[in-house]
Order: sequence, then C-alpha cells, then structure tokens
Amino acid sequence: MTTLKTWQELPHGGVILEAGSAAKYETGSWRTWKPITHRENCIHCLACWEYCPEDAIVLEDGIDHAGATRKFVKEVNYFHCKGCGLCVRECPVNKEGKAVALGFVRDEV
Amino acid sequence: MSNLTTGKPKIVPITGAGACAQAMRQINPDVVAAFPITPSTQIVEDFSTFVANGQVDTEFVTVESEHSAMSACIGASAAGGRVMTATSSAGMAYMWELLYVAASMRQPVLMSLVNRALTGPINIHCDHSDSMGARDAGWIQLYSETNQEAYDNLVMAARIAEHPDVRLPLMVCQDGFIISHSIQTMQLEDDKAVKAFVGPHLPYHSILDTAKPVTWGALDLQDYYIEHKRGQEQGMRNALRVIQEVSDDFAKTFGRQYNLFEDYRLEDAEIVLVAINSVAGEIKEVIDELRTKGEKVGLLKIRSFRPFPYEQIGQALSNAKIVTVLDRSASFGAHGPLFTEISTAVYNYASGRPLLMGHTFGLGGRELTLRHIEHVISESRICLDKGEVGNRQGMWLNVRGDKS
Ligand code: SF4
Ligand code: SF4
Repeated sequence: MTTLKTWQELPHGGVILEAGSAAKYETGSWRTWKPITHRENCIHCLACWEYCPEDAIVLEDGIDHAGATRKFVKEVNYFHCKGCGLCVRECPVNKEGKAVALGFVRDEV
Repeated sequence: MSNLTTGKPKIVPITGAGACAQAMRQINPDVVAAFPITPSTQIVEDFSTFVANGQVDTEFVTVESEHSAMSACIGASAAGGRVMTATSSAGMAYMWELLYVAASMRQPVLMSLVNRALTGPINIHCDHSDSMGARDAGWIQLYSETNQEAYDNLVMAARIAEHPDVRLPLMVCQDGFIISHSIQTMQLEDDKAVKAFVGPHLPYHSILDTAKPVTWGALDLQDYYIEHKRGQEQGMRNALRVIQEVSDDFAKTFGRQYNLFEDYRLEDAEIVLVAINSVAGEIKEVIDELRTKGEKVGLLKIRSFRPFPYEQIGQALSNAKIVTVLDRSASFGAHGPLFTEISTAVYNYASGRPLLMGHTFGLGGRELTLRHIEHVISESRICLDKGEVGNRQGMWLNVRGDKS
C-alpha cells in the first residue's frame, strides 16, 4: 500500500514527474469479478495478453512442441487486473464452448 | 523594430482593444491562439498585423474555433511557452470546458476578455454575463474601468499568473464597445520598460523537455482529485498577495497605483455604490457632483473579482450606512454575483452593519446614464432614512415596465 500524499506535497496541476508510474496504481482495487486461469485447457495463443487493457496477464518463457522457445501464459497479476472480463470474452477456447481456459468468478475481496 | 520604441512613455489616443493589442506586442508572447469575435476582434486583428510585420516573434495559431484556441493555448503553455489569447461572450462560452482544464492544469494562460452579453436573444453589446458565468472556472479575473487600466492589467498579468505560488490562468476584462471601441488618450509605456517589467517566462515541467519526460492531464480519481483542487484553491488564495505585490512594483516602475479594489471617496461615505468596469467612470462623475451638495457618497470599484478580497472589502465597507451594488449580469432566480459576494464580505468582515441593496443594470448594452445613477443614490438615501431596503431590493434599472 503506497502512502497517499497531502495536497502540499503534490506538484502543481496534477503533472506526473515519474515515467511509468501507472504501474504503481492498484487498478485491482476496482475489481468485483476476477479471471482464473485453467492452464490445462489453455492453448497459449496469447489473445488474453493482447486484449488486456491493464497488462495484467503475466507471461513466462517455455518450449513448444517443436522445441522452440516462446511465451506462455503464466498467471493473472491481481494487483493490476481490474476485472473487466475482456480476456475471458476474447479467449478462443472459451468461445468454442467445449472447455474453459479462463474462468470468471465473483471476487471475494 | 517598433516605431513606438522611444525610450519614453507616450500619450496616445487609442481604443481599449487597441491598447490590449499593444500590451500583447510589448509582452511578445511565445504563442497566441485566437479566433476573432466581436467586440474583441480588433485585438486579434492588430496583433496579427504585428506578427505579419515581424514586430513580434510569436507563433500565431489561427484556429478554427475558440474551443481549439484554448486547447492550443493549454498545449503551448504545457510545452513551456508564454501564451495569450483574446475573446468575448459566446467565444469564451465555447472555451468553457477548457477554461477549467487550463486552471486545473495550472497553466498561466493570459486572456484579454472584452465583456459582451451572452446570446439569447442575440446581442453583441456589453454586459458581464460572459466573465461572471466563468467566475468558478478557476481563472484570476481583473476588471478594468478604462483602456489605461485594461492595458496596465495586461502588463501586470504575466507576473501574477506565472508566479510560482500562483500558476493560474488570468483574464483581463474590459467593457465591450464602451471601452474596447472608444478612443481615449492613455499612457503607453516604453517597449523596453514593459519587457523589463514583465521579465522572462519560466517554464514549468515542459512537455518538450525530453530529458525529463512528464505526464500532463492524467486521470485523477477519488484518491487525489480533491487534493489537486485544494492546491488549485491555494494558488487563488496566494494570488491575493501576489496581485498586490506586482501592483505595488508596477506603481514603483510606472507610477500608477492599483489595489485589489479602488476606493473612491469612501472615507466618510454613508452611501457606497459598488460596481465593476466602465460604469465606475460615470459613478465617480455623479459622486463628485453630489459631494458638492453635501451628500456623503462614495464608490468601491472591483478590480480583482477572482480571487475576491472579502476581508479587505468588508473592512472598507465597515463605516458605510448603505451599500448599493450594481450588477451588470443576472443570475436568474438569485441575486447578482457581485451582490452576493459583497453581502458575504460585509456579513463576515465588516465591523458595521450597513443596509445592503442590489440592482441589475445594463444587460445587452443598455445604458445607465448620470441621471439613473443619481436616482440610485437618492433612492439609497431614502432607504437609509427609512432604515430598510424593502421592495427596492433586486430592482432592475432602466427597464421599461419596471419603476426604477
Ligand atoms: S479481467 Fe480485464 S484486466 Fe483482468 S486480466 Fe482480464 S482483461 Fe486484464
Ligand atoms: S486467450 Fe485463452 S487460450 Fe489464449 S492464452 Fe489466453 S487463456 Fe490461453
């Protein structure tokens, strides 16, 4: 939890002096629903990663069937995931309807 | 470069709009973005001539609307430039959302506003509904009785608006046509003297500084918005002090002393009129006349409406017996904006309890003659003798169908 600044500590006009500071913002506190990864059903197409507006889908390196190094979906970063459900909606496995690669459940927080 | 650079001030016959264009030429801002609208047109017209003649170094942006004009001003200011514009009435109304953006981004954009009625029915003449409607936008508002005052206010504007304790946009207001289009003689200061007085512009976290990238205009939610607004309010509170400081320095440099308001024959006045802009000239005329007949009457003329100097005005009205406020704009279903501010000042800061009376006048350029002003003063005397304002409260002056 970052300590919030007083008005006297803020630079005039809401200017943000630090590049990339949005990463420190807990958009996860907005969430009422959350996506859950089911890696056993995931085809690692990375559509969820591409659609996520908060860059909350975390990737990791792995080896594919052909032995090449590529990115795989690892998990959801719940500090940034705001629960918009875009990933769940765009997942092609979910769309096909036979299995769920990304579930969407009520967040208990 | 300019034929007006003589090293000495010059007495010149000039319109209020022309005077403001001269001030802009002398200030030589980095960027001017403007869209012409009556009665502020001459400011932009004259200034574009200065640009074409190479008398200024300004990047002059001929935008397609006032909304774009203010947007360009904000961007140019965030880029680190000294920025100016001019407009009137519906033109400023079209800038509305950007007025708030300029103020909350703390961009010291300078505006020469020529007061004109807002449309409905269409009218191009003077009243204060444009600037009074914008009074909560977060801009410093300085008002000017004459072309000299409009010019002087504009010369002082940059140092007030850009002061590190203030950093707020500022509009200098003058009455449309009555001042903007009337030729009066005034003292035009020397170019170099004005330049030296105004001084260099100090950029504040310029977006063009790629070595130190910053973000302007980011989303601000429940956790920080109110802190930023509180800071903005502090800029306004500090402006009360800074306006006076810059005005005092202006007096030392150019010899004309301005304060947050002007008190005209107030010392022993029982009847005090409060007004804004050009009508103050007529009121002073009537006061001088009535003073020779023994009537104790004075005028308090507002210069700084935002920030509003409640405490100083309350004190200045402490000895008054009746304060009659003349609003040149209407807040429909409420008292005029000046009346409500004066009432607040008197209630909270005056040691005495004068009667308070508010009138509306002059909408859409309707004149208020010396005879009308005399009448207002004699009515104020009647109220004072009776000890009550009664049904004279909230009267509209010089309106057919109303007894005034
Ligand atoms: S729910 Fe929205 S924010 Fe969260 S991971 Fe999916 S796309 Fe990103
Ligand atoms: S969109 Fe679905 S299948 Fe594709 S990587 Fe994301 S979770 Fe896996």
